[in-house]
Amino acid sequence: MKRTWRTTAFLGMVVLAVAVAGAAPAFAQGLPRNQTLYIAGFQWGPANHFNPLAPNAAWPVGGNGNPDQQAPGYVYESLFLYNIVDGRFEPLLAREMKWVDATTLRIQLQPGTRWQDGKALTARDVAFTFQLAERFALGYSSFWQYVKSVKAVDDRTVEIALDPAKPNRPLVEQYVATVMILPQHIWGPLADKGRAELMQFTNLKPVGSGPYQVQSYSAERIVLQRFEGYWGKSLYGMPTPKYLVHPIFKSNDAGNLALKQGDVDWSQQFVPQVWTLHNVQTWYDKEPYYIPGSIPLMIINVHKKGLDNVQVRRALAYSIDYALIARTAMSRYSEPAKSSLILPTGVESQYFDEQLVEQYGWKHDPKKAVQILEQELKAKKGPDGIYVLPDGTRLSFTVQTPYGWTDWMAALQVVSQSAKQVGIEVRTDFPQAPIVSTNVQNGNFDLVLWYVSQVGAASPWTRFRDVLDDRGVPPIGQQAFQNYGRFSHPDVAGLLDRAASAGSPEQLKEIYGQLDRIFMENVPAIPLMYRPLLFYEFNTTHWTGFPTSQDPKAPPMFYISVLRLVRPK
Amino acid sequence: MTYLRRYIVSKALWYALAFVVAMGLNFLLPRLIPGNPVDALIAQYLRSGGQGEAASRVYQAFLQEFGLDEPMGQQFVTYVGNVLRGNLGTSFSFYPARVTDLIAQALPWTVALQLPAILIGWILGNLLGALAAYKGGKFDRTLFVGALAVSSIPYYAMAILLLYFLAVVVPVFPVAGGYSFGLSPNLSVGFIVDLIQHYTLPFLSLVLIAIGGQAVGMRSMAIYELGADYVNYASGMGVKENTILRYVFRNAMLPQVTGLALSLGTMVGGALITELVFSYPGIGYLLFNAISLNDYPLIQGVTLFIATAVLLANFLVDLAYGFIDPRIRAVQMGER
Repeated sequence: MKRTWRTTAFLGMVVLAVAVAGAAPAFAQGLPRNQTLYIAGFQWGPANHFNPLAPNAAWPVGGNGNPDQQAPGYVYESLFLYNIVDGRFEPLLAREMKWVDATTLRIQLQPGTRWQDGKALTARDVAFTFQLAERFALGYSSFWQYVKSVKAVDDRTVEIALDPAKPNRPLVEQYVATVMILPQHIWGPLADKGRAELMQFTNLKPVGSGPYQVQSYSAERIVLQRFEGYWGKSLYGMPTPKYLVHPIFKSNDAGNLALKQGDVDWSQQFVPQVWTLHNVQTWYDKEPYYIPGSIPLMIINVHKKGLDNVQVRRALAYSIDYALIARTAMSRYSEPAKSSLILPTGVESQYFDEQLVEQYGWKHDPKKAVQILEQELKAKKGPDGIYVLPDGTRLSFTVQTPYGWTDWMAALQVVSQSAKQVGIEVRTDFPQAPIVSTNVQNGNFDLVLWYVSQVGAASPWTRFRDVLDDRGVPPIGQQAFQNYGRFSHPDVAGLLDRAASAGSPEQLKEIYGQLDRIFMENVPAIPLMYRPLLFYEFNTTHWTGFPTSQDPKAPPMFYISVLRLVRPK
Repeated sequence: MTYLRRYIVSKALWYALAFVVAMGLNFLLPRLIPGNPVDALIAQYLRSGGQGEAASRVYQAFLQEFGLDEPMGQQFVTYVGNVLRGNLGTSFSFYPARVTDLIAQALPWTVALQLPAILIGWILGNLLGALAAYKGGKFDRTLFVGALAVSSIPYYAMAILLLYFLAVVVPVFPVAGGYSFGLSPNLSVGFIVDLIQHYTLPFLSLVLIAIGGQAVGMRSMAIYELGADYVNYASGMGVKENTILRYVFRNAMLPQVTGLALSLGTMVGGALITELVFSYPGIGYLLFNAISLNDYPLIQGVTLFIATAVLLANFLVDLAYGFIDPRIRAVQMGER
């Protein structure tokens, strides 16, 4: 009797275990797969708020003015979307923008724009959104460094008047294409209570103007549901997926596995060897697979002994094996980096000047590096194989980048090995990100791999300013927010200002050429590789119709326009 | 009764002192990590270009909001004041979530994982240990060696082994997370099954080791008790075997109760690595994130919470002993 009972119990447990293990997929009826698009790679922690004005806003809101963090047009809409392939502005809330004179930008809204709560979206909401950044210190407050006023001329028309002292047209256009417009009737009363009140507003049921609403969110995922009352229904058509789900993975590996298995349809994650994944495609079907969007720069502290000598910086630049970095650290997702602050492909390519790079730039050439060290610098190799300058400075430096930025860490390993081969010691140091941040801003580094402005409507202007402009940059030891290497050159400020108000592309190309030459002759930083603005890859098991370089109906961005193109399979 | 009261009061005072020290350390330790948390917040926030004076305005605004522009002494006073009012502040990295809310979200996962693991591990372990000691022979030897082996595996190694064999080699259970991302939490059968699936491996990694550890401890205690004079005396007097066993079990249990109370106290922070291995939501995972992001208020909040739980559990154990065992009370009061 006892034995039978035991056997039954044991069998029962086995049955239960098998049931638990096997039954879940059958029970797990979630959202209908053919109406649900899974997106990943933007959100890595629980959704705490959907406030675009505060830091770390959850997907799809992101930070206002930060195109790489937001999903523009899903819930909140910007006036335009910027196409990083052809440089055009796609209309969204606005129909067109026009420079009526050198310092006045007039923007015309689309007819019938409406908030999801039914109230009309007018030019006053647009003006209000931009004015918020004048009243308070917000992420897009820099807009007001170049602007005098923003006002609603009538219901449909907004006028932005630039500061005649420093008119910066590209930068203003960039903000116009990235700032998401907020309803004044909801945010106005909050703003009147002060900055803290505004920033700490969690906005858990965001009222936007886009075709999606936040349906639910948890520590595991965020779900958006299509909003059928979208104002732009007849103008643009509705996006195809009824639900958008952003699962929140704790690691890249989990997310990549899901993409590989078709559980994620559209991803913004670094996937190693993406070409090996079945059914997974990117923008290009061959190397480098993605359009470059930013240049991770090894920034040089030009005040450190040894690195204050431009010949040392040049020798270092010649020593690095850029092709090896592109092949290994970047998993072939980059061409070997050129010695220019301008991206050679995509929208910036119109300013890129190959000849200039040949003439003034550098490339991987260890012999040339040694020649500079021995003949021009008269450096002598020490017993440890490291060169020492005539004044006794041993060419030994430390390079930092945050721990966990694996591709960047790998790139620096290559730098370290390449430099060592010619006789310069570059030691790597990988502290936690907040520490590197503090070091970078205070100039507490020899070399640091860090990011500068990415491709956008105002690039490469913003990148030249980030690297070369010393206006308003405090000395080492105090906090800087640009030009971390504290480089300085008398011609830069004038050239940047001329570029900011330049009329024609030819004129711009000429000015950028001069800036690029200053960059190459002085080596305040070394481009190591190119990185896509967003990793854009999709699995066609459940959804198709994503734009690619062969079918470029939309840029490789996570814009709402793509969601109007996709189709269930 | 006055002795008992004096005992309780003196214990309470000691624990209050320990709590104050813990609070001071909580405040100080995160601030010894190099780097400024606002720097990290800003780096993300100002990604879009166009920096200069606007950036330093933003920076100042955040320093002020978090009170980091004040001198350390002032910050400490504010912190203590807030803690006493039950306000653990606003998290930097999950801005603007309240630290108390974040802990409240993570706590159920940790408790649901740990409490059953500790209790089941304790009950089964003790039963098995007592049984082994009583039965002896082959059963004892097999069980003892097995339990010893299992209990000497670090629990994170066990977690990785289970993950490897049951989720990767034979993919019976999911690799990570609290539940599948395709589901939203609800009370349907499907969701609960999914929840249990995700729960199984982290739970097993904790409970197996708990069983092993408890069994080894209980076995030794029981063997010691079985050889005690009162057992010989009782069996000589012809007391029924079951009754003797009950006495043996009860006596051997005393130190095991202490162990249980302490593991309940450390429960909150105890499963840190298990949570990391399985990406299982919980306090350990929260603390790990907070530390890597330099999130002072969140680190302070979580560690204070853990410290409080441990102190409280110890205090309760002390009190319980004061009641249960007069010998301990007497020693504590210096009356022996």
